Amino acid sequence: MKNLLYKEFRLCMAVQIPIFFLFVLMMLIPSYPYLVAGFFICNSIFYSFTQAAVDNDVLFTTLLPVSKAQVVASKLRFMLVIELLSLLFFLPMIFVNHAVHGTPNAAGLDASLTLLGALLLVYAVFNAVFLPRFYKAPHKLGRHFLLSTICVFAFIFLFEGFMIICGAAKDALPLFGWVEETLDCFPQSSSIWIRQGIFFAVCAAVYLLGAVLTKKRAQRNFEQVDL
Amino acid sequence: MKTLEVSGLTKRYESFLLDSVSFSLEPGYIMGFIGRNGAGKTTTMKAMLNLIHKDGGEVTVNGKSFTGNETACKKEIGFVMGEFDCYKKSSLRRITQVTKRFYEDWEEKAYRGYLERFSLDENKKISELSAGMRVKYALALALSHNAKLLILDEPTSGLDPVSRDDLLDVFRSVIEDGTRSILFSTHIISDLEKCADFITYIKDGKILASTDVEDFRHGYLLCSGERSQLEEKKPWLIGAKAHAFGFTGLCRAGDAARFTDCKTAPADLESIMIYTEQEGIHEESAL
Repeated sequence: MKNLLYKEFRLCMAVQIPIFFLFVLMMLIPSYPYLVAGFFICNSIFYSFTQAAVDNDVLFTTLLPVSKAQVVASKLRFMLVIELLSLLFFLPMIFVNHAVHGTPNAAGLDASLTLLGALLLVYAVFNAVFLPRFYKAPHKLGRHFLLSTICVFAFIFLFEGFMIICGAAKDALPLFGWVEETLDCFPQSSSIWIRQGIFFAVCAAVYLLGAVLTKKRAQRNFEQVDL
Repeated sequence: MKTLEVSGLTKRYESFLLDSVSFSLEPGYIMGFIGRNGAGKTTTMKAMLNLIHKDGGEVTVNGKSFTGNETACKKEIGFVMGEFDCYKKSSLRRITQVTKRFYEDWEEKAYRGYLERFSLDENKKISELSAGMRVKYALALALSHNAKLLILDEPTSGLDPVSRDDLLDVFRSVIEDGTRSILFSTHIISDLEKCADFITYIKDGKILASTDVEDFRHGYLLCSGERSQLEEKKPWLIGAKAHAFGFTGLCRAGDAARFTDCKTAPADLESIMIYTEQEGIHEESAL
């Protein structure tokens, strides 16, 4: 498997990926839905798939002494590495954002551990929609990306929308107030850190479970594909 | 133990059926795989390698079933599908560095030898190579991991006659030690005449013959006669071309007694293929 991952980085990774990582700087924009930055990381992965399609990567890889299931698993691992790597860039930006702005984000989630957890959910949605479809019909790459983009933005809209509703209805429903005060803020106390940490851990578990299910579905699809 | 055994390989498409293809190849031999465009050669090769999902049949490589031993079987196979058409912006060096990690039996010395023999510059990118050089690079990769079976889909198509001849020499030297075998499809029948020991002929998804080249050739005769004889000979002709002065055609060697009053000659592979594919009597048009 490590050889396949090596192949992904040496032959398939789009040169634009490091540039796309600069989109974490969007967290310096005041009043902005920062989850959108996660979409650009998904976009960078799509670029790698596009380049790989031009380079007949699926055929080359399938001819190597590996099974079709391993081909799929390695591609998913490549996606996970890029996505998790992006979190390492997002993490310090939480503190930079707080130092620069210091006020709550009026247009979406505040820079927080909650944001990192939600980013994992964005990636999970992208992976779940994009990868199984790609391995069902590798030549319809653009269509799969369009569908996954729609799903990612629908998720961002719903998640951010829920947080806005929580903020607006916090006086009417104490639970909403608790959600807003606990999750949608820069953590100032250790108890908030812990609560947001638990939320992040739950998101990470969903992300990993999603990855396992995505892999199985993509592998099942790829077994039926004629190259 | 047979290097390759294909039995009952079946693949159904809406408009094409690969119909229970079976053949086998012993170690130390070259088998030519012939047939018209669309006859099922590439489909057979892809189904053998699990690149397409087969509807039935089994493939064994050195006694191991491909199903369930895919990785082990692929390590023993070198596959070339025409020219190398992957990672066009990457250098040969980079692609080789990645590829060789997958093969424990990678032979660096052999690889360097093929680079030199084929005049390949490792620093060049795939996009900078001609079609012929890309075929050579694909072959260099396939030949350098001590594969016991080489499956080559039209490897000589893009090459000039000198390179083709050189490649056929390489093929002969590859099987010399008696442990390796080559299955290769081609439209250039003269290449097969030079190096193939066995031939497998596929037509419309069905195997017509899979046998020793000499036996295959001796099974047919070329015949020619007067135009007036054509009607009488028609039932025993596999295919023929009629022209102003008579006809030339192909018959089975077993029917030679029917053609004692015609001129007969040993059949070559190309004629066998042409007349078998055309079937019936065709009028040769005159300008």
